[in-house]
Amino acid sequence: MTNYKIIFTGPVGAGKTTAISSISDRPPVSTDKVATDMTRNVKKTTTVACDYGTVRLNGSDCLHLYGTPGQQRFDFMWDILTTGGIGLILLLDNTRPDPFQDMEFFLDQFQDFINQTQVAIGVTQTDLKSAPCIDDYHKHLDKQGSTIPIFEVDARKRQDVSLLIKALLFSLDPGLVENND
Amino acid sequence: MGNHAKPVRIAALGMEQRTYSTLQLFFHGHCQDSYVLVEEKSADISIIDMDGFQAYRMLEEHKKHYPDQPSILISLSDNKAHDAVYVRKPIQLEALSSALRSAKKRLQQQPVAKISVPKISVKEVAEAKASVAKNTAKNTPKLQTADNTPNAVPPVLNDVIHRPKTVVKHAKPGSNHFNQYRYAADALTEDTDIELIDTKLAARFNPLNPVQVAKFQYQSKQTLQGYFQQAYFMALQKKRNIVLKGAWRPITILYKSKQLRVEKNFRHLYALSGMFFDKSEVSIAVLDNSVDCEPSIHETVLPAEPFLWKLSMRTSRGRVPVDTNFTAPIKLIRWPNFTRTIVTPHALRIAALWAKRPTSLVDTANYLAIPLQYVFIFYNAAVSLNFVTPEMAKKDRTTTSSPPVKRHQYRKIFQDLLDRLRNN
Repeated sequence: MTNYKIIFTGPVGAGKTTAISSISDRPPVSTDKVATDMTRNVKKTTTVACDYGTVRLNGSDCLHLYGTPGQQRFDFMWDILTTGGIGLILLLDNTRPDPFQDMEFFLDQFQDFINQTQVAIGVTQTDLKSAPCIDDYHKHLDKQGSTIPIFEVDARKRQDVSLLIKALLFSLDPGLVENND
Repeated sequence: MGNHAKPVRIAALGMEQRTYSTLQLFFHGHCQDSYVLVEEKSADISIIDMDGFQAYRMLEEHKKHYPDQPSILISLSDNKAHDAVYVRKPIQLEALSSALRSAKKRLQQQPVAKISVPKISVKEVAEAKASVAKNTAKNTPKLQTADNTPNAVPPVLNDVIHRPKTVVKHAKPGSNHFNQYRYAADALTEDTDIELIDTKLAARFNPLNPVQVAKFQYQSKQTLQGYFQQAYFMALQKKRNIVLKGAWRPITILYKSKQLRVEKNFRHLYALSGMFFDKSEVSIAVLDNSVDCEPSIHETVLPAEPFLWKLSMRTSRGRVPVDTNFTAPIKLIRWPNFTRTIVTPHALRIAALWAKRPTSLVDTANYLAIPLQYVFIFYNAAVSLNFVTPEMAKKDRTTTSSPPVKRHQYRKIFQDLLDRLRNN
C-alpha cells in the first residue's frame, strides 16, 4: 500500500477541518480541543495536533489529507506534516483583519514545500465579508510574480473543495486527463 | 447570411406574436439564417403550436393540403399524435435544434418532386422589397450576420413578405425592438449547452489557412460581449460607474464593487450573444459617482466578471476574436475564480498548462489532445477579462507537438484521485 498526502493549512477559522470533512471518505479524525487562548473569540474548539482524513484510491493506494493546526505556536508540526506531501491547499479566512498578511505568512512558511510541489488557495467566508475580493488577492500575488489558482471556497461544499484540489493536481501535471472538468 | 446554403423555409402556424418573434430571432441568430420563416404555402417544414384554439383542426387542414411536409408540433402537454416531430414547451434550444435537424433530414429523404417549391413570384418579391425598403428604413434594427456582413435580405424583409396577420411589425430600437430580443431570450434557457460551430472543420484546423482562420474568428467588438467588456474596463480605469445602453435595458456597471445592475430577468442578455450591433445602436455613458446606484425593485445586482465570462463563452461558440494569433504562446496571468464561474470542458487543464508554460492555442489542443474549440472557448472568455496574454516576442513560433511539460512521477495517482473526485 502506498500513501500520499495533501496538506491543508491556513489561519485559525479558515475552514481546514471542515474542508477535510467535505472531501474525506470517512469522518475525519480531529484533535480539536476547547480553545483557551484568543482563538475562542473565533470558535469554540480548535485543532491542536492535526486533522486527518482519507480518500481511497484505486487498488491499495490511499490519499491522506492532513490539516495543520492554525495557530503559529504549533508551527513546529508543519514540517513534519509536509514531509512526503504532494501539494498544499492554503485556506484563508476573508473576515480576518489582514488576510493578505496571512497569505504572505503561510506562503513564506511553506515556501520550500511549495517550490517542490504546488499550492492552490481557497478564500473562505466571502459570504460574510466580500472584501477583499479574489482580484485583490491576485494583485497581491502579482507582486511576487506567482500565478496561483485562487478560488472563493465554501469549505462545507464538497464541490468547491474538490475543484480546489483539481486545480492543485492540474498545476502539478497539466497532462492529466479528465473528461468532465 | 451565416450559412451560404439555401435556407430551409419554415412556416410557423398558430403562433402567438411572442413565439413567432422568438423563432425568428432563433433562426437568425443561433441558426445563422439556416432557416427562414415563410408563409404556409411556401414552406418546406411547418412548426405548429398545438396549444392554440382549434389547433387540431388547423393541423388536420394542414396535413390535408401538405401531406408530405414534415411538421414539428410544439405543446405544453405530451401529445404524441400524428407523424410529426414533437417539442415540448417551454422550448429548449437544443430540443428545437434537434427537431429541426430531424425534420430537415426527413425533407431531404423525400423525392425531389414532392418537396414544396416557393410560390412567390419575382414580381411579388420585388414589390415586397420595395415596400419594406420604404416602410422599414427607419425601423429596421441594424443586425449583422455572424460573418459581419450586412444581411442581403434582413430578417424583417422575410417578415413582411410572410408574416401572419397576427404579428405586428418591428418597432424602433428601444421599444418593441427591445421586447423582441427579450422574448427570444425568455425561450432560450440560460443553461442550455453551447452549440459549437464547425466542429468537424476544427478537427483539421490549419492556422496557416486564411479561409479556415476566418471561420473561427469573429468581430467581438461588435457584440454585447465586446461592448460590455469595453464599458467594464473603462469603469475600472476611470473609477466611475458606467451605463451601457442598446437593444437591452440599461446595464449599470459599478466599478467599486465590480458588479453590474441589471433588470431581474437578465437572462435574455445571454441570448443576445449571437448578435452583432452597430456602434450607432450602443451607448456607453460615464455616470456621476453621486448618482444613486441602488437597484430598483425591478433590478438585481450581479458580479461583473462571471457575467462577462459567461457572455464571452456564449458569444464564442468555439471561435476567437479577430486578430487572434493561433501560434503565439498564451500565458495565463490569472486563474479564473472557477468555483464561481462556469468551468468549460478542460478549462482547468488549459489554465494549468498556460500558467506553467505559455503554449499556443494550436499546441494546447495537440498536447492536451482535446478539441481545439474547447481551447478557443476558454481563451475567448479568459482574454475578455485579461486573464491571459499572448507572448508577443514569440509570436511567430512554429507549432510543435512536443509535450510542453513533463509527465509527473505521480501521474497515475493524480489520475486516480481525479476519477474519485469526479465520481463522488
